[in-house]
Amino acid sequence: MPDKDFKLGYFDQPKTKKMLWGALWGVCVVSVVLQLFTHTESHFEQVDFFGFNALLGFTACSVCILVAKGLGLFLKKSEDYYDDAD
Amino acid sequence: MTLTNLPPGLILILGAFAVPLLPGKIKNIVAMALPAIAFWHISRLSQEAALSWQLADFNLEILRVDKWSKAFGYIFTLSAFAAFLYGYYEDKATEFFSALIYIGSSLMVVFAGDIITLYVFWEVMAISSVYLVLARGTKKSFDAAVRYLLVHIFGGLVLLAGIIITIHRTGTIAFNTFNPDLADAGTWLILVGFLVNAAAMPFSSWLPDAYPESTVMGGVILSAYTSKTAVYTLVRGFAGWDILVIVGCAMSIYGIIYALLENDMRRILAYSIINQVGFMVCAVGIGTPLALNGAVAHAFCHIIYKALLWMSAGAVLYRTGKSKCTELGGLYNTMPWTLIFGCVGALAISAVPLTSGYTSKTIIIAEAAGNHMFWAWLVLEIASAGVFLHAGIKFPYFVFFAKDKGLRPPEAPKTMLAAMAFLSFFCIYLGMFPERLYNILPNTDLVKEAMPYTFHDIYIEHFGHVVTQTQLLAFSGLVFFLFLPLLKRTNTIALDFDWFYRKGGKAAYLLLDKGLNGLNAVVNKTVAEKGMAKLAGFFAEGPARFCLACLKPVWELSGVQAVMPEEMDKRFIKKFVLANFSIGSTAIFAVIFLLAFILKIS
Repeated sequence: MPDKDFKLGYFDQPKTKKMLWGALWGVCVVSVVLQLFTHTESHFEQVDFFGFNALLGFTACSVCILVAKGLGLFLKKSEDYYDDAD
Repeated sequence: MTLTNLPPGLILILGAFAVPLLPGKIKNIVAMALPAIAFWHISRLSQEAALSWQLADFNLEILRVDKWSKAFGYIFTLSAFAAFLYGYYEDKATEFFSALIYIGSSLMVVFAGDIITLYVFWEVMAISSVYLVLARGTKKSFDAAVRYLLVHIFGGLVLLAGIIITIHRTGTIAFNTFNPDLADAGTWLILVGFLVNAAAMPFSSWLPDAYPESTVMGGVILSAYTSKTAVYTLVRGFAGWDILVIVGCAMSIYGIIYALLENDMRRILAYSIINQVGFMVCAVGIGTPLALNGAVAHAFCHIIYKALLWMSAGAVLYRTGKSKCTELGGLYNTMPWTLIFGCVGALAISAVPLTSGYTSKTIIIAEAAGNHMFWAWLVLEIASAGVFLHAGIKFPYFVFFAKDKGLRPPEAPKTMLAAMAFLSFFCIYLGMFPERLYNILPNTDLVKEAMPYTFHDIYIEHFGHVVTQTQLLAFSGLVFFLFLPLLKRTNTIALDFDWFYRKGGKAAYLLLDKGLNGLNAVVNKTVAEKGMAKLAGFFAEGPARFCLACLKPVWELSGVQAVMPEEMDKRFIKKFVLANFSIGSTAIFAVIFLLAFILKIS
């Protein structure tokens, strides 16, 4: 463990974390807003709407995480699970 | 064979026998020089160059040079050079020997024009690569190596069976595209054999089982060749096989879900190999020339950024001796260069604009859309978002940031950093100026016609795509940090398909132990102990009882003996068994047999 008087690294400082959160939200907002000013094309009518990729990124990743979490209930085992089998 | 038709793989294979004999660091330098020479040799190989060898009735085509084999040849030698530069710290001669044989064999497979040569070097690859896992020297690595070998022996035998059936049916050994309409059992077996090495489900678990147990340099080397050689053989043999679209899509999602469940950093990267190979397999299934060129381009870029990620993870393992996310964190403090190069790889695998993944993966996804394959396109887009989640953010976040565990290892050795810088350069260069890559693809004109290839065209003219791709990735990143509490690492493993042979192996042993040994005991008791005694009794007393049964009615009817008491029966049988007959009885039997004999011959 770090020493008691160990100085927090740059990325562990609350100020930096706050700034990074701001940057992340900023990139999200800018990427959506920019779509208003650029020409984008889609091969499929059913997904040819404003902000589709933002929606896809958000939902796909949320579902992936939730599915992984759900499967983890059955699939995650302790590290010595196979020890007696091998 | 002259220098003009020397198979590039032979340079490495022959070199493998010389390198272990060299002293000290000369060994490392020569190991680096060999792939560099092979790269130069490939660049000079003419498409007319050929080398064949008559073996019995077959004319083996050991060297077939075209743009397909050359593209893979370039990247195989390029990444080998980087891997040996990275492994400059290594001094185990055996590791160099097996690595050179392994890489050389993969080049032999790529340049093979017939399925027999392909098969031979396919097997040499499996055997030589095992040592890169074994060399770690732990019990876990030994067990994983044994399982790795068993799976590849299985895959190799399936491939061999398919090859024999195919040669028997067609009479030719040439390795060209198999027509799905004329497929028979042999063709399907070859496909399964290739898919085992591509780590396609359900033959996938050998990869995340074995690679993370390999040595530091071994992991970097292993990540490039087996699965990408399989991609090459699929591109050549199975282009346009619809089933591969489904297999590829399944692999790309499976890789993500399992990478999210994993705790070991190198196992996360192993699962992301399966995810990325899924894109290539899907492209092979789409089968159009553009999709196939996309698969080659993606394999090229993938080998570079994947090796870079394995190098970054390997450097961490080399310096800390740890590979679990639960034990790592906060390494940005002392390993900033490893972090930066790792992040370049992470951004490239996520297809972030300005990186190589952006210019190669886009070909495949665009071609899925161009062929109106909505579901395949959607799955690949979802998989692209998921890659950013597990390889793009999860790997660097949990290793270099997350909770500071107080680890303060020194920065990676300079040669490791040099190798990472070398590959990082390609990740960014090919993302900005992919024309060089497109120029070595089999159908350069086609790709350049369909895809933007200058910096201006990609990032200014097609800025809309940059925006939508950034949207996809930014929101994926947002989800990662919003869901971070759900992604907390635990000291666990996730059950995969290897459960069937790891636990199944034990179950089979029990089944055989209890089942067959139980059956053996029952048979011993009933047949050996009781049955044999009865059988002996039957042969001893059988003729006597038969005679008695024949004679008894005669005696009773003729009045010789009105009723035969049981006591007499027993006495007769005893006499018969001992062959202790009176002269009269013997005479009667003799007469009966003589009569029977006369009747028979007359």
